[in-house]
Amino acid sequence: MTMRGDALAGDRIGSGLFEGVRRRPVILGAVGMVVLAVAVVIGVAAGSVAVPLGDTVGILAHRLLGLNVTQTWAPSAETIVMDLRLPRVMTTLVVGMGLAVAGATFQGLLRNPLADPYVLGTASGAALGAAIAVLIPVRTLIFEFGLLHGLAFVGALTAVTVVYRLSRISGIAPMTSLLLTGYAVGSLLAAGLAMAMYLSGSGLRQIFAYLLGGFEASSWIRLATTTPLILGATALIATRARALDGLLLGEEAAVHLGVDVRRERAILLGLAALVTAAAVAVSGLIGFVGLVVPHVVRIAVGPQARAVLPLSAIYGASLLAFADVVARLLGEIPVGVVTAVIGAPFFLFLLRRARTGYEL
Amino acid sequence: MNARRPIRRYSRLLAPIVGLALLASACTSSGPSQVSIPPSATGSTAPAATGTPSPAPTLADVFPLTLVDDEGTTVAIPAEPARIVSLTPATTEILFAIGAGSRVVATTDFDDYPPEAVPLPDVATFASVDIEKIVGLDADLVVAGGNNFNSPDAIARIRSLGIAVVVVYAPDVAGVLADIELVGRAAGETAAAADLAATMRVTFDQVAAATRDLPKPSVFYELDATVQIYTAADESFLAEMIELAGGAPLTTGSTTNFEISLESLVAADPELILLGDAAYGVTAEQVAARPGWAGLQAVRSGAIRAVNDLVITRPGPRLVEGLRELAVAIHPDLVLPAAP
Amino acid sequence: MIRLDGVTVAYRGRAVVRDVDLRISAGERVALIGPNGAGKSTLLKAVTGLVTPVAGSVELAGRPIRAMSRLAIARTIAVVPQQAILPFATRVEDVVALGRLPHEDPFRGAGPADRAAIAAAIERVGLGHLLGRDARELSLGERQLVLLALAVAQAAPVLVLDEPTVHLDLRHQVEAMDLLVDLNERDATTIVAVLHDLGLAAHFFPRLILLDHGRVVGDGPAAEVLAEDRIRDVFGVDPAHVRLGV
Repeated sequence: MTMRGDALAGDRIGSGLFEGVRRRPVILGAVGMVVLAVAVVIGVAAGSVAVPLGDTVGILAHRLLGLNVTQTWAPSAETIVMDLRLPRVMTTLVVGMGLAVAGATFQGLLRNPLADPYVLGTASGAALGAAIAVLIPVRTLIFEFGLLHGLAFVGALTAVTVVYRLSRISGIAPMTSLLLTGYAVGSLLAAGLAMAMYLSGSGLRQIFAYLLGGFEASSWIRLATTTPLILGATALIATRARALDGLLLGEEAAVHLGVDVRRERAILLGLAALVTAAAVAVSGLIGFVGLVVPHVVRIAVGPQARAVLPLSAIYGASLLAFADVVARLLGEIPVGVVTAVIGAPFFLFLLRRARTGYEL
Repeated sequence: MNARRPIRRYSRLLAPIVGLALLASACTSSGPSQVSIPPSATGSTAPAATGTPSPAPTLADVFPLTLVDDEGTTVAIPAEPARIVSLTPATTEILFAIGAGSRVVATTDFDDYPPEAVPLPDVATFASVDIEKIVGLDADLVVAGGNNFNSPDAIARIRSLGIAVVVVYAPDVAGVLADIELVGRAAGETAAAADLAATMRVTFDQVAAATRDLPKPSVFYELDATVQIYTAADESFLAEMIELAGGAPLTTGSTTNFEISLESLVAADPELILLGDAAYGVTAEQVAARPGWAGLQAVRSGAIRAVNDLVITRPGPRLVEGLRELAVAIHPDLVLPAAP
Repeated sequence: MIRLDGVTVAYRGRAVVRDVDLRISAGERVALIGPNGAGKSTLLKAVTGLVTPVAGSVELAGRPIRAMSRLAIARTIAVVPQQAILPFATRVEDVVALGRLPHEDPFRGAGPADRAAIAAAIERVGLGHLLGRDARELSLGERQLVLLALAVAQAAPVLVLDEPTVHLDLRHQVEAMDLLVDLNERDATTIVAVLHDLGLAAHFFPRLILLDHGRVVGDGPAAEVLAEDRIRDVFGVDPAHVRLGV
């Protein structure tokens, strides 16, 4: 076997084929951080109210860095920058990161490029939970979260748990079983959602707004409640990149590569579901980020989870932060619409340019 | 395993929901109408839906004041509001009608009356509230719609920023009068609001008196019939208005459902069809041409009339115009005394 | 290296491997042969810990496999993966690199030793001309070589293969066999391969294990195991139609 073209192979490997490939994620990560920083700056500087850039900088310097800046701005400008825009931008970053990482995880775990964070019933579970909450006239708030957010979170987690349990009963391959069970449970929950909406009368407006998703009610307290959950679970997912890599060639191959597939699947599923449920509770159903960002990253650096997960986190956060700025500037249009309108053409462009055939 | 299995896409779930939401919003956006309170608004004393006693109308409120809004929330208003935001078309109309219009700084993007309100900045759409703009306008009072008209999430967020929010929701005609007085107190126009409510009561009494001894034709009020047929729910605001105008409303048989089947409609065979959707271009000819509708006695006798749905179902000061229009639409020969 | 005692494997109550005793020493080169359904692949699964026997025990390098972690097993036995649809575009070298998963640092990824092993495996299997290509665009035979390289990169003391040559043309079949011999003789890798091609098995493997109905019915050099009466009994064909060159 060592007769043909091996000198060539040796040369190419020796001359740093792998070095270039290894550096690429680092470069893309650095570029992503810059994009992210730009998104944050624009997110804080722009909005439906024009706050002069100098004032924005002054407010940030005064409030965040404790500098003694002469106050040239109106108190309302300070509220807008500090209590509305900043927590909102941070929330978009955390949610965008969570959705992209959860999407990459579900895609890798289910070995299905069409998977997104909402597969396996999280979306319909959260939506049903929210719809039921709308039917219950309780207005108590805990950490500024209402019953709607609580039931959306619980609904998403319950749906995934039910799907996981049911999928283990069936005799077919676990991944296929998960997807099919997710489909069945999702359909059932969607029926429940339709019924709840039918019964909801004027609550329909609220359910509708929830399903569209958005960040208009972001606050520091909500951010402080959600961030540890999403950040923690995302970090734990990143430590299990090896399992996702092993699954590229199927479950059996993963086992032979030293992955305890059953255990890793349960853990990754739980973590990704947790991230999704928290994201969905905070911001409703925002599509596209979790589906497309991981693919864009894979086109750039290949499918290794160790590169895909962090880069998805960075670019998912950036995309959602940008999308939310656009949504705000266009008069609070649904942010999910913006993610799709920004993301889809970019994705199609990348697909056309991708050097290798990238099938979905 | 196969990597190309069809999987559930949530967008597929959303599509029918969006349609449903848009349709149903047509029935609920202009007149929240769910809670059942027997129609009794023609009496000269309106029960306050808030449970708070209305103060004597001649006494001006002294700020700071505390009031309880229609959702039972205690709202503190430290000083007479100078910059008011209205998040529903009905409250915009109320604010302008009681003389607080000059202090209204922003409304919704679907406000259409009075004309002075239309060019004001928009801070709310069907699905969202622009909180940043409200803060940027230095609003000191926000009047919002309850029963999910405005997002409870957004209302809570505005309150958490220290801005007073009064939430109004009128389940019936009496509630509208109570809301006018509630908004009046919040805006520091108590006397004007009490006057307006009193004047409206007079009109309600006039119409009630004029129609009291007339026959009560059965009335089908069409909210929308593009896909499903939507009309008044039992005990709804709209049903109450039709009763006050001297008609017998054909209702859906449920207090929460605004949809009625064509079969039920045909079986009930109303004497009169009122087109609340006339503003969207629906005409009597189109109604007569619909499959299954030709046999209705209202269609055969030509008793199909267009009405201005906005003034009939919007819980604001023009409700009296709506009631008079409705009464004349139901009883074409009726001559009402001039409005006070 | 590998020791099976009284191993019985059953699927849904039906025994597929029955009471198999087997010893494979370090550095051996063994071919598992037998007709379809004889239990060859299942026996491999028992050896690699993919299925748990209903009776008997499997030991790997002196340790019961049930007590070993998946990672420890993967560092002992490399298995050439079955062909699978890759869900995402993956370059050839990235597929080969997966062989290093059991060894590389879980946080930092592939280190210099890992990259050297990947480069060496690519060179030994002769994949230089395929580098940079999406593994999903390759022919079945090329993909089989990529998967072989993955297992080579895994650099475990034992290499297990299930039908490694089915999609290969004649030249690549021979080259693959040469590689196995080379790995065995030069690197002292223990080779256990399921083979359908009795000719290849007889020519390249000093020890053949013949399975039939889940039992070991022959174990030894080709001349002994592939005696004419055995071929008639086990495979149900006239030995005159089979020229093995034994």
